[in-house]
Amino acid sequence: MIVFVAVLVALAILLGLAWLLFSSQRGAPTPTIGDLQVEKVLPVNCRHFPQISQLLSQEDIQFMRERAPHHIQTKWRYERRRILKQYLSGLGQDFGRLERLARLIAALSPEIRKRQEWEWFWLALQFHFSYRMVALKLALGSFSSEGLAELTQMIAGLTSELENRMALIAEHSPSRMRTNAAG
Amino acid sequence: MGFSLFDSVYWAATAFLEVVVLCLALRRRLFGRLPVFTLYLGLVVANEALMWLTYRLIGIRSRTSYDIFWTLQALLVLSRAVVVYEICRALLLPFAGIWKLCRPLLVGLGLILVVSALATARRTVHPISATTIMADRGLEFAVAAVLLFGLIFCRYYGVEIPRHLAWIALGLGFYSAIQVANNTFLGDWLTHQNVLIWGAVRRASFNIATLFWLAALWKPVPVAAPAPVLLARGEYEILAPQVSGRLRELNARLLEIWK
Repeated sequence: MIVFVAVLVALAILLGLAWLLFSSQRGAPTPTIGDLQVEKVLPVNCRHFPQISQLLSQEDIQFMRERAPHHIQTKWRYERRRILKQYLSGLGQDFGRLERLARLIAALSPEIRKRQEWEWFWLALQFHFSYRMVALKLALGSFSSEGLAELTQMIAGLTSELENRMALIAEHSPSRMRTNAAG
Repeated sequence: MGFSLFDSVYWAATAFLEVVVLCLALRRRLFGRLPVFTLYLGLVVANEALMWLTYRLIGIRSRTSYDIFWTLQALLVLSRAVVVYEICRALLLPFAGIWKLCRPLLVGLGLILVVSALATARRTVHPISATTIMADRGLEFAVAAVLLFGLIFCRYYGVEIPRHLAWIALGLGFYSAIQVANNTFLGDWLTHQNVLIWGAVRRASFNIATLFWLAALWKPVPVAAPAPVLLARGEYEILAPQVSGRLRELNARLLEIWK
């Protein structure tokens, strides 16, 4: 039994090594200060949400319930779910961008805090778990229309706030976080 | 000496391969970049010569040969541990903050694993050879685990691993991983026949590792990239809480949706 476990451990080590040393990320360039550009790290998917917000408005839901025939309602619900899935995917991408920003800042800082790094790692774990759960919920179709509307408002509010915050970061570090306008 | 013709030829071929790798390392001026690894390659060649002389003069079955073999193996495994540290240092040192975070963790993990390996070996009630093999297994596991841990750090922070370092690390990790399984196999079923299999696997896996190192040094070692320009001190303290807040918020939103 112990030999079997040891063989498994050895295999796991070898696979881990092969993945860490030769998988796709290996060719990626080492982070540089040039990567700290606002355009590259600012969440982008939230920006398109006003249009999606319109699509998912409470009035539309009410209207469809009262006026549209059953087969149209079914198709409309399907489309709504598809859009929400896209939005969720966008939310994941936005989180990924911020995650990359966090790691980039850490990689390029002469001093970093263990607690801060641990928090980022923990938040990423939490997010990825919740993300899977929400995706599952969506796939099962257990989202209420009220939930969708709340989500819409929430995200629309977040977009502008996010831009303000990133602009604040750029202000604190103007030499590092370049924008196209600044060259 | 009691070696068959096949054993003698195999030994000569192994020694030749190791000398070629050492010469390539010197030709590529690796000593300036990875001094411990270059010294380790020299130690490997010296080990072959010393063991050949020992077996020829004293005999393969003497207790002195056994002691010399395991003393040299202990020296080699400790050197590999230092080489692993050297590789992690070469990869992460340009990123001062990450290296300061990673170094104590690497050293701590290594020490914990080495102490636990030695403690486990001391508790073993097997004959002395099994105790040695268990200690060797623990040390090899420590080498592989520390290497994996260092590479996980590189992966997490997106640090690029140059081609030659990747092959050198693969050789070290491959040999250690095989020894973990090989030593466990022999520790559990210590018979004369199994000692022969164990020896053959050990030699073959080291030859494969040497081939990986040959692949690492076959092409010229790439010129060292200039050290990255780091952020000014204190910028981390300004930026980190804001990114953290943002991440926390996105997380909280997602959790609300989920619940």
